[in-house]
Formats: sequence, C-alpha cells, structure tokens
Amino acid sequence: MRPDPSRVLQQSAAHLLFELAPMIATPYAQSTLSLIALLMMIAAQDAAQGANIRGADNDDMRKLFGALAPLVADAALKEKLAEAAGAHDESFDIAALDRANAGLRTLLIALHAHVEALPGEKARAAEKRIWGVMKASAARRLLKLPAM
Amino acid sequence: MSDDLPARLAQFLRGKFAADDAQIAGLSRIPGGASRETYRFRARWRKDGREIERGLILRRDPPASLIETERATEFRAYQAAHALGLPVPEPIALEESAAVLDRPFFIMEEITGCQVGNILSADPYSAHAAKIGGQFWTILGKIARADPKALGIADFAGARDAQDCWRREVGRWEKVIDDDELEPQPIARGALRWLKRHPPPRAQKISLVHGDYRTGNFLFDADGNIRGILDWEMAHLGDPLEDLAWALDPLWSHGNPKRPAGTVPREEAIALWEKASGLKAEPSALFWWEIFASLKGVAIWISAAREYADGRNSEPVNAFSGWYPLSVHNMVLAERLEAIA
Repeated sequence: MRPDPSRVLQQSAAHLLFELAPMIATPYAQSTLSLIALLMMIAAQDAAQGANIRGADNDDMRKLFGALAPLVADAALKEKLAEAAGAHDESFDIAALDRANAGLRTLLIALHAHVEALPGEKARAAEKRIWGVMKASAARRLLKLPAM
Repeated sequence: MSDDLPARLAQFLRGKFAADDAQIAGLSRIPGGASRETYRFRARWRKDGREIERGLILRRDPPASLIETERATEFRAYQAAHALGLPVPEPIALEESAAVLDRPFFIMEEITGCQVGNILSADPYSAHAAKIGGQFWTILGKIARADPKALGIADFAGARDAQDCWRREVGRWEKVIDDDELEPQPIARGALRWLKRHPPPRAQKISLVHGDYRTGNFLFDADGNIRGILDWEMAHLGDPLEDLAWALDPLWSHGNPKRPAGTVPREEAIALWEKASGLKAEPSALFWWEIFASLKGVAIWISAAREYADGRNSEPVNAFSGWYPLSVHNMVLAERLEAIA
C-alpha cells in the first residue's frame, strides 16, 4: 500500500520542524519554515478527518433543524428547515461538503436568532441545544499541534 | 528585500540624525508581528566628530497586513509607553511617506539578549514564570492606570465616553467579520448577539488599551526581566478591562487557562492588575470582556485568512491564523456560551 498522504505530511513536517529548521541560521527563514511545517501538520489532520468532520457537522445540523422546526413561528424559515432536514450529502468531495455546510450554517444562524427572540422554556432549551451543536462542531474542528 | 534598501536607509538616517555620515550593516529580516515587516540592523554614524553605533529595528508596512493598522499610532504608543517608564524599545524615527523605503515605516531601538515566549510552548518561562508574571500583570495595570491626556495620546482612535467603549469595539470587529468572512460563522454571530444583549457596565475610566497585550508579545532576558513590551499596532482608547481580558484569553494560556499567559494563577494575575491599576475587575464585567476578547480573536483570524485566500498576503502566518487560532477561539466561545445558555 502506498504511504498514507496524511502520514507523509506529518512526517515531512516533523522532519522540517525538528531537523531542518534548527540548521537554518536566518531567524526569519527559520521561523517561516517552522510555520510551514505546522501548516503541513494541520493539513494532515484535514486530509485524514476533513470529510468526516464536515459530514458529521452537516448531519448534526439537519437533525437539529428537524427537531426544532416545530418551534419556529416564521413560515418561510420553517419550510427551509424542513427541507434541509430531509436532505443528505450525496458526495464526499470536500468542496461539495463545504458548499452544503455553508448553506446549513446560514440556516443555523437564522434559526438561532429566531429562537433567541421566542419566549418560553422550550425556546430556552432549544437555544441550549443549538449551542450544544455548535460546541460539538467546534470540538471536532479544534486543531491539535505538538508542544514545542 | 530590495538590494538598495541599506543604502536608502543609510541616507534616511543621515538626514534624521543630521550626521556627517551613516552606514548600515547586517540588515536582515526577523520574525516579529504579523502586521509589519521587521528587520534588524546596526547603524553607525558620525556627528560632531563623534562616532555612534546602535542596534536598531525597522518596522515597515507590508503590501497587505493581517490587520490594517496605523503605523503612526503604533509609533506614538511606543513614545507614550517609553515616557511612562515602561519597558519598551525607544522609538527613534517615523516616516509616513512611501518615498524613502517604498512603504511607510518606523525605526526603534533593538533590545538584545532577550527572547519571546513561544505561544505553542507548554512552559515558556519555566523557573521565571512567577517573576515574569509579577511584571507582566503589573505593567498591564500601569498602562490601565495612566492618563491618556498626560501621555499626549488623547486624540487616539477609540472611545471618548466610558459608556461607549464596548459598543465601539463590538461594532469595529463585527464589521471585520462582515467584510472578511469566507464562510458563515454561526458561533461568532451567536457571540455578537450575546454581547449586544448583555452590555457590560460603564468603563471605570478611559485608558490606553494596548490591543494585543499577551504572552509572545514581550521580550524577556535570561534572568526573567521583561525588557520590552512589543506590538502596539492595535493601541487605542477604551475600557482597560479589554486588555486584561485579552491577556487572560485561553489561546494565550499555553494549555492551562488557570495559569493565564503561562505565568501565575488567574486570581493572582487579576489581583496584581487591580493593585497596579487601582481599578476593579468585577467578575461579570470581566466575563463580558473575555467573551469579547475571543470574538475579537475570531475577527482577526478571519481577516488574516481572507488576506491569504485573496492572495494579498502569502505569509504563512496568515494561513496559520485562519486555521489554528480560529479553531481555538471558536471552541472557547462555544464552550463558554453553551455553559450559560
């Protein structure tokens, strides 16, 4: 099996960071090279997990929309939520997942603002649930870097 | 760097110092601040028969920067802090025209024999953490205590009325997000609405706000003495809690938010700041400014990502900003706002 692209990026980054960068005498070049190595490490994480993360984000938002649509008073927004809740990702292509994600995020912003303006316990619980979905997304997308 | 930069710099210094002669040696670019190109060099000039030699730093505007800032503001902030007796490099000269070095720039003293704390290090100050923390939080308190009028910076951009500090800053950074976001930002939008619905109390005073006071933005020597507070490019007038909250932000905590800036425990940091500033860090007001700090971070990282994506600034730090710190600040905001929702 060919070397996994994510592993190639990780190992090349480690080579640059810990072996080659210390050999460079110019501070600016050394610092820039180290930063490029860190970018490679982050790109490696995205290469390995990018489709999963986007897919999970999109699934979470669609489930949320299906669950909260009955609370929504605005008919146009309710219809959009119901439509989005019934859709699914048809491709694992990153650009396609990102396009779907952007549309769902726009709808999430509208839903969040709408729910904030609603009175009552159910609306407060819905707000909490929305923040929970955003927190789960942020946790999925949180990047990890080696301690220096 | 253009080949004739040393010659042009030497010519500028000859005029600036009214020197008989000036020579530049060892001009080389160094890392330092994402909003200006930074170079170190040695200058030697003759005046009134005396030969003078100094290590200097050149900070020149880049073609496009991580955040749009005024170099005159940065230069004057250094002047104010220097006059106040704070540890900052002595500002030497400001040139706002592009005629001399293609872009505006300023020159300041080089502080040697020092290092900056790496924000990715788990323990950047090791045995000196407490000593550095004592100075770090006290210096920030002194900045907060100072009177902008007495410092000659009462005309700086920022709030004039203590009631308006929060509104001005939220508006400023919301506009950055509006202008620069590459994709919808539900966490930032939720945070912005929360900030507007729960405004903080009136500022205790209008202070000089450094704007980026944090670990990684100061020089310290081998004995743990802070020798230079750097990167004043976002200086403005505002609520002094803004700086305190930014310095306390988890992004700058080296992995341990209970020990902000990798220095001393949070309670001790706040107590040091209160003592030096003569002000109170009332917890609910500070919490508001901490949410704002992470939101401001999101705006800065979004702006950097936009510069990179548009090809206006290909420095890797701009791509890095749009990835790593943005992911951290989104996590901080979501965690904190989910907890109180």
